[in-house]
Amino acid sequence: MDWTKQIVRYVVVMLLQVLLFDQLQLMGICHPYIYVLCLLMMPITLPRISDMLIGAVIGLMMDIFCNSLGVHMTACILLMYVRPYLLSVLVNESDRLNEQLSLRTLGMEALVKYVVILVLLHHLAIFLLAAWSWHHLGFVVAETIVSSIVTIVVILGYNILKYR
Amino acid sequence: MQNLLKILLRYSNFLVFVLLEVAAFMLIVYNHAAPRSSVLSTANSVAAWQYETVSNVTGYFHLRQQNDQLARENAALRNQLAAAEGAEILSYQSAKVVQMTTNRLHNYLTINCGAEDGIQLGQGVRNEDGVVGIVRTVGSHYSVVMPIINTQNNLSCRFRKNDYIGTLQWDGKDNRFALLTDVAAHMVVNVGDTIVTSGLSPVFPEGIPVGIVENSVLYEGDSYYTIRVRLSTNFKRLKYVEVIHNADQNQIEALTDGLD
Repeated sequence: MDWTKQIVRYVVVMLLQVLLFDQLQLMGICHPYIYVLCLLMMPITLPRISDMLIGAVIGLMMDIFCNSLGVHMTACILLMYVRPYLLSVLVNESDRLNEQLSLRTLGMEALVKYVVILVLLHHLAIFLLAAWSWHHLGFVVAETIVSSIVTIVVILGYNILKYR
Repeated sequence: MQNLLKILLRYSNFLVFVLLEVAAFMLIVYNHAAPRSSVLSTANSVAAWQYETVSNVTGYFHLRQQNDQLARENAALRNQLAAAEGAEILSYQSAKVVQMTTNRLHNYLTINCGAEDGIQLGQGVRNEDGVVGIVRTVGSHYSVVMPIINTQNNLSCRFRKNDYIGTLQWDGKDNRFALLTDVAAHMVVNVGDTIVTSGLSPVFPEGIPVGIVENSVLYEGDSYYTIRVRLSTNFKRLKYVEVIHNADQNQIEALTDGLD
């Protein structure tokens, strides 16, 4: 795995997240967390325990910017735990995913399923934990759907532009 | 023993997953009890510095409005000075808002004053229009404030016309409105009634504007009104705030804490 590339991508994505995507105002229900791009597109060369630790650290960094200690961390650990299971279901021979996880190695259909399922899971976890009660359930579901659509479009767009 | 080790090794991924999730979940619970970790929040200097830099740049685009607001604020301060003869226990510390959210259920704002400027946990925050919120986290140079547009916040208020007391809560929907509860059905509520702070807690002195009644409904069979209040403070335009130092706050809180 090329660490420099991963870190540069993380810094750029976090800047976009904090300076652009956190400032969106759309009836208070659009909070896309595009930083999951870094977690989703990370190659699967590392042991799964390190994957989860990286998820925990990246989630914690986001929590510091959102004043939501633990919320993003919980969702990112969950995401990194589920990721290899989902990939083994979606792709038959997962050997070729070691070098790169992208449109080229996954194919369009598997990539879309992979991104949609994990982004929905991640965003739902975040908004449920952030609301911290069942009173706002309808609001949370609407928030999850609207925000996920934006995040999914950004991640798929990134892949199409980069690996077409 | 060997079998146990085998099982542990076999499920090591799952065990690490559970351990990490439990740790993260404990952080959430701890943060909900009282968000006061100044390192792991926007009271942290690095995160706050980044927001402050951005707000310095974008600040140029609002200079005209800022000037108007500062002029009004100066006038309000002079009035306060004139009226302050009898209220020497109160003093105000001006602070700039460096980061704020208005579109979540749990909104927070970060101000550029911290422990070294004399900010303490639990102090009230206002601007010249009305109530803003309460200090929840104090770092050395920055603090995080929980505004009244945070669903966790409850504010004790009263009607200016007859001193009737109610509780202000935010429903998470619109940052211009909040709900006033606990107002019994025998009260006469009119649209346009002014709501001010009650002064029942040492956090806010009595009479700071909170908002005006936008509409009130008494549902059949209900013994309390549902009142929608248009907030005096425009949170979308918030740039400068004042932190309220009440010299007696610690003393009063120590007394009431002793009652439990």
